[in-house]
Amino acid sequence: MATAKSKGQPTANSLKSGRWVASSCKMCLHSCGNLIHVTDDGIINKIEGNPTNPSNNGKLCPKGNAAIMRHYDPARFKQPMRRTNPEKGTGVDPMWEPISWDEALDITAKEIKKSMDEDPRKILPSIEDFQKFNIWAWPLSFGNFNFYQSGGTMCGGAYHPINGFIHSAFGCANDAKYCNYWINNGTGDGFSSHLHAAAQANWVAKARTERNMRVVSIEPRLSIGSAKAEEWIPIRPATDRHFAMGMSHVMIKEGLCDYKFLKRDTNSPYLVGEDGLFIRDENRQCYIWDAQNDCAKLWNDKSIGKIALEGNYEIDGKACRPAFQVYKDILEECTPEAMSEITTVPAETISRIAREFAEAAQVGATMKLEDGRTVPFRPAGYNYYRGAQGHKHGAQTNHAFKLVNMLMGNIDAPGGHMGVVLDTKEVDINHCVPGESGMLTPNPHQLGPTPPFAYPPNTYHLMDYFPLGVNPPHFNLLVHDDPAHFGVEFTPDVIVNCHSNPVWAMQGPRTKWFDFLRSMRFIVCVDLIPTEMTDWADIILPSSDVLETWNCTMIEPPHTEGQSFRQPAVPPLHDTKSEEDIFYEISERMGILEAYNNVVNLTLGFEGHPELMLELDKKYTDKEIAERKGKLWNGEDIDWYMERGHSVTEKRLDKWYRPWEGSRLHFYIEDMLVERDKLKQNMEDANVPFRDEWEWDDYQALPSTTLDPVHEEPPEYNLYAITFKDIQINFGESLSNPWLKDIVYRDPVHTGLLLNPKTAAAEGLEQGSIVFVESPYGHVYGRINVSEGMHPETLGISNALSRMKSKDSGVLPAGGHFNDMLPYDLRNTDAATGQPETVCKVKITKLDDWPEFLKDGHTVYDLIAKNEQAKGKGGQH
Amino acid sequence: MAIEDKVFSGDTLRSGYRFQRHWDNSMAYAFIFAELGAGIYFISLLMNSLTGMIVGLVLVSTGKPYFHLAHMGVPSRSWRAMLRPDRSWISRGLLGLGAMIGTGFLYVIGLAFGEQFGIAADSGLLGLLKVASATFALVVMCYQGFAMSHSTAIGIWNSAIIPMASLLYSLSLGVAGALVLLPAAQTGGLADTQLLLLLGLAVMHVMLLHGGWHGSPGARTSVELLLQTSYSKWFWGMVIATGIIVPALITWAAPGNALLAIISGLAMLSGFCTWRILIFKIGVYEPILSMNPFHSAH
Amino acid sequence: MARMGMVFDLKACIGCNACVIACKQENSLPDGVFFTKTLSEEYGVFPMANRVFIPTICNHCEDAPCEKVCPTGATYTRDDGIVMVDDDKCIGCSSCSVACPYDQRTQMDADNFLKGLFGKGDITPFEEDGYGRYTPGTVTKCDFCSQRVDVGLDPACVVTCPTNARIFGDLDDEQSAPSKMIRERHGRPPLPEKNTKPKVFYVN
Repeated sequence: MATAKSKGQPTANSLKSGRWVASSCKMCLHSCGNLIHVTDDGIINKIEGNPTNPSNNGKLCPKGNAAIMRHYDPARFKQPMRRTNPEKGTGVDPMWEPISWDEALDITAKEIKKSMDEDPRKILPSIEDFQKFNIWAWPLSFGNFNFYQSGGTMCGGAYHPINGFIHSAFGCANDAKYCNYWINNGTGDGFSSHLHAAAQANWVAKARTERNMRVVSIEPRLSIGSAKAEEWIPIRPATDRHFAMGMSHVMIKEGLCDYKFLKRDTNSPYLVGEDGLFIRDENRQCYIWDAQNDCAKLWNDKSIGKIALEGNYEIDGKACRPAFQVYKDILEECTPEAMSEITTVPAETISRIAREFAEAAQVGATMKLEDGRTVPFRPAGYNYYRGAQGHKHGAQTNHAFKLVNMLMGNIDAPGGHMGVVLDTKEVDINHCVPGESGMLTPNPHQLGPTPPFAYPPNTYHLMDYFPLGVNPPHFNLLVHDDPAHFGVEFTPDVIVNCHSNPVWAMQGPRTKWFDFLRSMRFIVCVDLIPTEMTDWADIILPSSDVLETWNCTMIEPPHTEGQSFRQPAVPPLHDTKSEEDIFYEISERMGILEAYNNVVNLTLGFEGHPELMLELDKKYTDKEIAERKGKLWNGEDIDWYMERGHSVTEKRLDKWYRPWEGSRLHFYIEDMLVERDKLKQNMEDANVPFRDEWEWDDYQALPSTTLDPVHEEPPEYNLYAITFKDIQINFGESLSNPWLKDIVYRDPVHTGLLLNPKTAAAEGLEQGSIVFVESPYGHVYGRINVSEGMHPETLGISNALSRMKSKDSGVLPAGGHFNDMLPYDLRNTDAATGQPETVCKVKITKLDDWPEFLKDGHTVYDLIAKNEQAKGKGGQH
Repeated sequence: MAIEDKVFSGDTLRSGYRFQRHWDNSMAYAFIFAELGAGIYFISLLMNSLTGMIVGLVLVSTGKPYFHLAHMGVPSRSWRAMLRPDRSWISRGLLGLGAMIGTGFLYVIGLAFGEQFGIAADSGLLGLLKVASATFALVVMCYQGFAMSHSTAIGIWNSAIIPMASLLYSLSLGVAGALVLLPAAQTGGLADTQLLLLLGLAVMHVMLLHGGWHGSPGARTSVELLLQTSYSKWFWGMVIATGIIVPALITWAAPGNALLAIISGLAMLSGFCTWRILIFKIGVYEPILSMNPFHSAH
Repeated sequence: MARMGMVFDLKACIGCNACVIACKQENSLPDGVFFTKTLSEEYGVFPMANRVFIPTICNHCEDAPCEKVCPTGATYTRDDGIVMVDDDKCIGCSSCSVACPYDQRTQMDADNFLKGLFGKGDITPFEEDGYGRYTPGTVTKCDFCSQRVDVGLDPACVVTCPTNARIFGDLDDEQSAPSKMIRERHGRPPLPEKNTKPKVFYVN
């Protein structure tokens, strides 16, 4: 016993003598408000939610509760280190040698600068700190658009651009405050994952328990959300779009839509020509068909008597249809029966959900808001995320979900389906800008500028060809396989890695990624603890953690806005620095300090605020940056923030409900076709050799029923495989944390590959069978857990069973990596958005025993066996 | 309904039956020493076998505390266990144990050396010690059963059969001890008693199984564990065949054969030990709430 | 006098186990030790399968069997109904552990304190600060964060629960949140047939 009990003193950690520091969480990429208790001895011994933060209302998820164990992880990097073992590999001891900060920074800057001087494109950034966009944007300082982190395609490659098109927002969610009928399709929002998990779970639970909000969950696996839902609708993976289109078919067929909304608030009446583009006049203004006067009129013509949504018309001899009619024609074949064939969801279920949803939406109802506006009241929303949207035809899939909502007129309406902005930076900024022909300005690039078209490409992941998309980092491997094929004229040789674990997070076989990493001349990792990736580093630059640093951030909080403030609860435990210190030091040594300050001014919105603008030749601390971000939001200084820990308030009504009022929403995304044609032309002009391989059909102004190619794999791959996280491992690194490990590997969904018992029997498998799982692209080993909560065609593989052993980390390997089984090619990537396919087809072979490399007694399954057999006092049973 | 329909959740976050794992094998050995030793002492007392009494006392005063201390989390504080005889069978048992050892040794010393100090074997003092030590031995023979049956937590334990089993095993092992230790001439009638006790044990097992099968879901699960899992071969082979049938046959067919009496005694002891260990191993807690029809009361 | 109790709202609980980790934080619990657990159970047959999340905790029974069997008096009930263990008196005999129908008691294994949470003998400052409250070998359990209750705070698991699935308060006060919930939503105790009179209830 380290310390004796002293009588009379509290032993409960939160009551020990000490102080509370108001700060913000970073155990996932979001930022719930928390209170950190520091004892008189300077020990952090309790973290609770901050009850004054209206986002998480004093609540924290299991990860937020476990932050202390990351802070005190004995494996934390304690000082800068240099590799002495020339052999690199995940799990291979780099034989670290401590060095001074000066030496580490000098080496790092010298090595990066060497590449920068030769060709800045040779630098591969992998900077995943989503709470510090000033760090994220660092590569722009030398015009580098490379991207080697999983953010984007492994979260919402297609999701974010479509949210940008429809809401001019980064994320989306349903309005828990008024929603009465909540559809979750392939998402854990409100239950286990995505936006501010603890906060959203709190809001959604209140809606469920206080208002009896009905939840319908559509997904192949009975997740937490499905278990809590009033109805779980199991669905074949990668067919969610077809479910949504089946619903839309019923809604249109039965006349259940909000036609007033469609006519006034969307571009669905705009007339579309046979080329798919809007018919426009010489001033590029669009037309609407006036059914009363039976003629086309400009969209803003006050004399339009009756707006036509349906019908086939002619303007100057050119055939045209309202955009709504175009979708109606597409949906003609999407009968519930036809969609049932594809989704395995019974036709009557599709019809019933469509009718229930429409009834709950209360089309026609309005609500008077406190700001004086009367707006549509639509207490039903169709919400979705990674599981449903992460497919080859991601753009169309996201769009199909949005259209279910649009048909109900619930976009950004109380109770409906809401755009969720990432960060408006200032209290009084509205993110919506009126655009051409009365339409909202689409904003598909929520994370800043993308590189212009170029051939030969200037990025190693071909971002030059994604004018609408998020970065497809898996293409780094595609190009690495054959750079000449893609005309790439440079070879990346330096990776700058910060809080990113791409070698764990990305699709494609690990063996190939290892080969990719071996080709690097120099890798620097800025991180806290060892990961699969840090094993590859040449230099470790240890960063201080969330309990030791300053920050101010707003990251897509669903119902609130404002800055989550971070301040050090304690001084750094080890010889570590903030990310700001590290990147400023590197920038100065590389001679790019001025450029970097310019980037930060732009990225954080200091531009135009002289009092906040960074001076170009100065280095700034995390505290100075945080202070400015706080001031930018509401003018308050850092003392104000230090006392409160946040400036979070419920969203301002004009920014939350119909912030685009007066503009029409993009029911029909013409830009998809416009940008496709521009890209096509650019590729033709530049004579890009792989232009015929480009998947041009992926660009659609409206969703189609085209099947994702995953359904067309060879028939011997007879099952689908999906991966999932749950709230204990939501977002990034969790399993090096002993508290999280203590709950994850006791939870039956994380202790084996989940398979429906009937399927298992048909495959000759049973509970506990050891199996070899193979996709056309890769394989994993595992052990079967039978579960009635699995769609019979689907194998479920928890992300907790996809780790590798890395040096000094408590993370345990399981038997491979789900992502090894995913393709990383053009065929399985959405050419419109860069979204790759995230499910695969597999076949399962039963094994008599584990392969030798999994028999050393130190895998996840050994830990699970210990928990399941409950050894300990009384011995094994 | 069968055992394979039930979930045993180990130390996971899965709802299901949980094995009792707090009382381990060392606790079982302590129970064995107590019941064996007290039984031998008690029967030896009745049969006036000084050797038997000493053997019984030594078993009770060595193995019992040794294995208890091995089990105890904070052995140095074990004395505290006697503080609550008003409600705890552990306290009562501990006091009974201390008293039995005390009065037993005094009685044995009195018997062995009393005449040198003018204390006759039939003196009132020794008579008092005899009655007292016999009474305390009875407490030791039974209290462990009461400690198990007292609470409702573990269904198969929560039965009046459990203390009865303690008593029956104790007495039968005591008789077996006497049959081994005493010359055949002095064991008149003991063989018949033993047959009766063995019959009693058999009936006791039937009652325990029957009661458990029709008892709480946990009790029934324990019976299923005993009869339908790998434990069944131990139960039938050791507890019933070796521990009851073999000694019954020997006692019936060859009463008075010294070698066979030893074999019979050892067979009974091994059956008893197996049962003591099994009854700890099959103890289960019930799921607190369950939607599984196989988990609810039948 | 108050009679402190808890209600678990099974409709609200999402099985996230934030409560479990809040408890580990508040009480400096070693690896593998839980004062509260949220269990899950899958039931039904596809597609009508479902999963229920079942929070569990010491029920602070009015007829606490653990208290009755305790041979040292280490287990006792406070005036406000919270069942406590005085670890200066506990000898670690585990009688209480086998007497509790809810398997809510844990013996503190000395090895656990030596190995530390990271399992390699690295004892973190957090552990240094917290382990002193325990005596290895004794049996412990949830005490409803009695010290927090004494100063008017809810237990750690309650304050962190994202879905408000844990409601704590005085069951003798008819107007308290748990009393109302038990009344209005027909709260039922766990395993009532064990005759322990739990002060923890479940509502659907």
